[in-house]
Amino acid sequence: MELIHHKILGLTTIIYAIILLLHFIYFAFKKEAILKAIWWVIYINFILHTLGLIFRWIDSYKLNIGHAPLSNLYESLIFFSWCICLIIILMKKRLVYPIITMFSIIGALFFIAYASLSPGVDKGIQPLIPALQSNWLHIHVITCFISYAAFVISFICSTLYFLRFDWSIMPDKNTLEELNYKSIMVGFPMLSAGILTGAVWAHYAWGSYWSWDPKETWSLITWIIYALVLHARFVKGWRGNRLALISIIGFFSVMFTYFGVNFILSGLHSYAV
Amino acid sequence: MLPKEPLPLQSAMNVTKNSDEKDKPIKEKNTINRLVGFFGSVKLSIFILSFIAITSVLGTLIKQNAPAEEYISTYSETVIKIIVFFKLYDVYHAPWFIGAVVFFALNLGVCTFTRFFRKKSSASFSLPDEKTLSDMELSFTLNKDLERIILPLIKKKFKKKIYDGDDGLIYEKNTFSRFGVPIIHISIILILVGGLVGLIWGYKGFLVLHKGDVKEKFLLRGEETKEMSLGFTIRCKDFNISYYPNGSPKDYVTTIEVIEKGRVILEKDIRVNNPLNYKGWHLYQSSYGISPLFMFKIDGKEVKLKEYDEYEAEGFIMIPIKFDASIHNFGPGVQVAYLDNGEPNTAWFLRDIPKMNHRNLAGKSVILEDIKEDLWTGVEITYDPGISIVWTGFALLLLGLYINFFVISGKVYIRRLPDALIMAGVSAKHKERFRIILEKIVRGLNGTDPS
Repeated sequence: MELIHHKILGLTTIIYAIILLLHFIYFAFKKEAILKAIWWVIYINFILHTLGLIFRWIDSYKLNIGHAPLSNLYESLIFFSWCICLIIILMKKRLVYPIITMFSIIGALFFIAYASLSPGVDKGIQPLIPALQSNWLHIHVITCFISYAAFVISFICSTLYFLRFDWSIMPDKNTLEELNYKSIMVGFPMLSAGILTGAVWAHYAWGSYWSWDPKETWSLITWIIYALVLHARFVKGWRGNRLALISIIGFFSVMFTYFGVNFILSGLHSYAV
Repeated sequence: MLPKEPLPLQSAMNVTKNSDEKDKPIKEKNTINRLVGFFGSVKLSIFILSFIAITSVLGTLIKQNAPAEEYISTYSETVIKIIVFFKLYDVYHAPWFIGAVVFFALNLGVCTFTRFFRKKSSASFSLPDEKTLSDMELSFTLNKDLERIILPLIKKKFKKKIYDGDDGLIYEKNTFSRFGVPIIHISIILILVGGLVGLIWGYKGFLVLHKGDVKEKFLLRGEETKEMSLGFTIRCKDFNISYYPNGSPKDYVTTIEVIEKGRVILEKDIRVNNPLNYKGWHLYQSSYGISPLFMFKIDGKEVKLKEYDEYEAEGFIMIPIKFDASIHNFGPGVQVAYLDNGEPNTAWFLRDIPKMNHRNLAGKSVILEDIKEDLWTGVEITYDPGISIVWTGFALLLLGLYINFFVISGKVYIRRLPDALIMAGVSAKHKERFRIILEKIVRGLNGTDPS
């Protein structure tokens, strides 16, 4: 059944692709006006993306199984993509570098396109199984995915750090380092909040705030890696390649927490993401 | 393994202590200080944390608490020996893992104490010299006469004056944000302590309840037969499952009555996400299942038996030992064990096959009249005295994170020079926001040129 939110989100996906294209055009012509246009399209698409989420919510009520669109792989991918867009808008003042917004948009585009195009992702709205019927669902998923999105920015900046192009479009290393660190400053407390809300929820749903379920364990590993990044920087004064490298490892851990655990390992979290 | 470079603070302490107490054996003092230095070193924390992170991975790769057969079929003999030796089948409860976590908590405690609470006394708020200030990233040189205008502005924004001398002033914004890190560290220690308390003094178990069952003991998790008393009685008043139109489960509800001294104290519907709390015990809706109930007629007498229920009458003993929902295409059946003149024997009964639903066992006429489905609900039971400590830790951790990451803090230095005023700002975590605040102040000044 084709529902209205599928159409909106389909359009959103196309516009993300257009934003990407606009970046290429900007790099070719370097006109300020194009950059301005890029940001306007990002704003408009963010509103559209938000509408898509709202309509999916409304559609679920029409099916009499109303719940926030945060409950399965499809919904989490769409929401993850939305969070990436949200983060670049919130960090707009710092992310004046089109190369960074471009890679962020590639991320947002990848996840939303994967959600709609992969045959392995069920696009339907399923009713909430008893374990997910909790108000902790919202705050837990929102905090986790905002942190993941912030770590996307951190990953982009640390990866660019290793690319030694002498392009004019490349921010200098100090800026990349500062941005990496800034995004971890958002991601780390959010991830902590995500783990804590998850633990409180687990206490009510599973009878134990910590069960060493693979997803819990991997989120803890991720948390430890980013805690190490912060301490290496603040206490040990680490800078440069070493710090960028740990940030990249941290992001692989994030992705493994998100996908790997579901596809490779099994556990209590297997019903969703 | 001692850290090669002790913290500057530690070495400073060594010097003062040793000079103060020259008469005492220096060696002993050194050992203590070295020990503190060792436990409080950041290198050690990084090492233990990395160790915990890496070993945690093992627990997600090796299946935890699986039956022995599973390991035997998956791994070679040598690997199994390693798994058993290091308790890798239950990594997170292995003594070495818990030891590492406890060690980390100690390290974190010492580290936090030495770095934040002792350091404070040694930290002096002296005004950096002119060159240092003008070299700072955020530095302004201002007209000397502006001092009387700028000071109230700074005071309004920064509130706290931490240094006031002839050469200048230091203001600090949100001094308390300094406590963010120690609060985070202490809250992590609290969470770990709470976890340990729960591990030592807590209980976890499981109870299977059929409608109408009355129980006051439950089976401890990980133990085959060890039962634990709740200290009160519970009765399963009802159990219901509801489904969505598409057939997936919507709600599991067990109605539980708490009974003490024969009186019903409390009645509650427990569902997933909605446990029953009573006297520190938590009862969770955890699972459900269907168990068969066999309706026999033995020598003309109606007998209801569940699996492994023992029936005994006039020296005849019979136990249903195996249920099969469908034997080939013959429908459900049950295998019973019985004593035939003192010799153990077994026999199958098939409900839907007339020839196979009655037999003579040891001279008794046994008829399987029906197999009914008996719904049971699985209730998980926990008792965790550490939970309030953990919750306190969680709340503190969120507070600490907020203070540390989201409260804008920093210092502003104002130095009086013979012919000018130099103002510089430093913020470890919020450079950009700090720049905006200071630039706004300076821009405001330009509008009010005193000359």
